[in-house]
Amino acid sequence: MHELQIAQNIITIVNEELVKNKRTEKVKDVIFVAGRMRAIIPETLTFSFDVQKEKHVQLSDARLSIREIDIVIQCRDCGEQHTIDEPTFHCEKCLSTNIEIKNGNELYVDSVELFDEKEEQE
Amino acid sequence: MKIQIVRDVLEANDKLADTIRTESSKSGLKLINIMSSPGSGKTSLLEKIIPELKKKEVRVAVIEGDITTTADAERIARLNIPVAQINTEPFGGDCHLGAEVIMPALHQFDLSELDLVFIENVGNLVCPAEFDTGADYNFVVISTTEGEDKPLKYPLMFRVCDTAIINKIDLQPYLDLDIDFLKKNIKQINPGITLMECSAKTGENIITIIKHIQSLLNGQDIS
Repeated sequence: MHELQIAQNIITIVNEELVKNKRTEKVKDVIFVAGRMRAIIPETLTFSFDVQKEKHVQLSDARLSIREIDIVIQCRDCGEQHTIDEPTFHCEKCLSTNIEIKNGNELYVDSVELFDEKEEQE
Repeated sequence: MKIQIVRDVLEANDKLADTIRTESSKSGLKLINIMSSPGSGKTSLLEKIIPELKKKEVRVAVIEGDITTTADAERIARLNIPVAQINTEPFGGDCHLGAEVIMPALHQFDLSELDLVFIENVGNLVCPAEFDTGADYNFVVISTTEGEDKPLKYPLMFRVCDTAIINKIDLQPYLDLDIDFLKKNIKQINPGITLMECSAKTGENIITIIKHIQSLLNGQDIS
């Protein structure tokens, strides 16, 4: 369910950036980055985005591209850095639980790709 | 043509949450956000904790996030403390409380008259973990009937919380739950978390939780 709010926020941010950059073209792609810690279900987020984009002229043809980021932890004791596929938040080398999550908490709009004027007319 | 953006989608919420923390700390107030699955015993726990805190002259209020009924707010109001109810929606509202609903709820209180505000979040182990409420501390309540695997299934929730309270320990004799395994799973997700267990029904160990909350109010380190 939090995907609904996140989709709304993505649309707000993209619209703000279009105004700020004085762009009037339609948006082709929205690149969104989601770390695996954030428990985003891509299908739900895409669906929520597609339902809401219709109301926004510049976004109505936009595709949401979600880049998922693996969870990478770094050990504060031995310095080992590795990806985890299961929720085991400890160092696989020295087993210390004194770790820092380096990647996996991301949740941001990276960029948008715009249609060029010609493409749009086609 | 590409426009580089790089903006966090929760930036507006996070900014407002920071404002809430700044405002409440100016009033010498602490906020504790309590999260759990539906039915873990958040309201029952508050019903046990609040009278004890009142005895110790802690001035408490509750922001009630039950989004479908006012039943929980009515239970809390019987404790004769200020309660702010987040707008309700008869057929289910939002899945979490964002900073934008906490701010106006907080403004319903006279902050100078309070030491502590509990936020009783919506029963859900996923969405509330994503949205900073502006609380100083996050508590998760997990009951013995929920099984040992919940921390592993909802890691973000257990990562964002400073305190985990295992509730309904009075039921343990009737359940297959291995409580040590549950604790191990919680610690696996968040080794730094403060772990407590209690029964909001019998009152067992409630005093430990009171002491923990008092130490948080006195600005002592939690661990």
